[in-house]
Amino acid sequence: MALLHLSKSLGGHLAEVSSLTQQRSFSLSAVAAAIQKMSRVRVVDNSALGNTPYHRAPRVIHVYTKNGVGKVGDKVLLAIKGQKKKALIVGHKMPGARMTPRFDSNNVVLIEDNGNPTGTRIKVPLPTHLRQMEGDFSKILAIASKFV
Amino acid sequence: MRVEKCYFCSGPVYPGHGMMFVRNDCKVFRFCKSKCHKNFKKKRNPRKTRWTKAFRKASGKELTVDNSLEFEKRRNIPVKYQRELWGKTVVAMKKVEEIKQKRQARFIMNRLKKGKQLEKEEVINEVKKNIHLIKAPHAGKAKQMEEKMVQELQKDVDMEDDDL
Repeated sequence: MALLHLSKSLGGHLAEVSSLTQQRSFSLSAVAAAIQKMSRVRVVDNSALGNTPYHRAPRVIHVYTKNGVGKVGDKVLLAIKGQKKKALIVGHKMPGARMTPRFDSNNVVLIEDNGNPTGTRIKVPLPTHLRQMEGDFSKILAIASKFV
Repeated sequence: MRVEKCYFCSGPVYPGHGMMFVRNDCKVFRFCKSKCHKNFKKKRNPRKTRWTKAFRKASGKELTVDNSLEFEKRRNIPVKYQRELWGKTVVAMKKVEEIKQKRQARFIMNRLKKGKQLEKEEVINEVKKNIHLIKAPHAGKAKQMEEKMVQELQKDVDMEDDDL
């Protein structure tokens, strides 16, 4: 509850900055939280939708979990370029389980409704514990080039 | 399973310990404990933080160039598995480790030898300066003068004898 409130207040502050930095959504806050509604994310695949610049950063509008918190391997709904698109979280700033890496940005890969990735390559390193996770991530893991 | 090196202190990171951080330029940083992780977040340079191995090697306090250290370097070409090679490698690893420890110890000892020499000189100087605490400054002077006078008189006597 407190997190949501905090991120909403910060979202207002940083709206100007994110318009300056175009499609890159570098969060300037020191808060390392998981992904929830209204969080700005970074699309890491080479899809056209994820890489074309837009005056608003891609934002999460729905998280497909029981609680509204998104961790690695969770599906989310994004608002990009005025459209709705599903995506998969592949890394977040929040420290997670002990033997998993922490990333410097909240990374997300765009997917279709059937789970197929929209892009054709992922250059950013992906966590290896995605392989062990339940859910069919084989296609996303196939287009990834580096694992961490 | 692989024992990694901590980015900050260069210590070993065993599985189940430490943290891994991936930067946006895809560079991976491993830390052995939160001390190193916190220092990294404070943007401290490990080459200037005195307790790290990076500092010690950069400032010449520890052995840097040596054949025994070449074995620790990462090879990017995988070696084909051979049973005897595996066994021999384990034996060799133990020996190399032994040699490496000895060489590193000797390097440090050599570095500290200079200190011993300086200490000795300093001690001698100190004794000279404070000799008055051990021996009174004009302790044997009177007797010395007497002996000198006796010598002089003896010399005069001898000279008189020679003249005569």
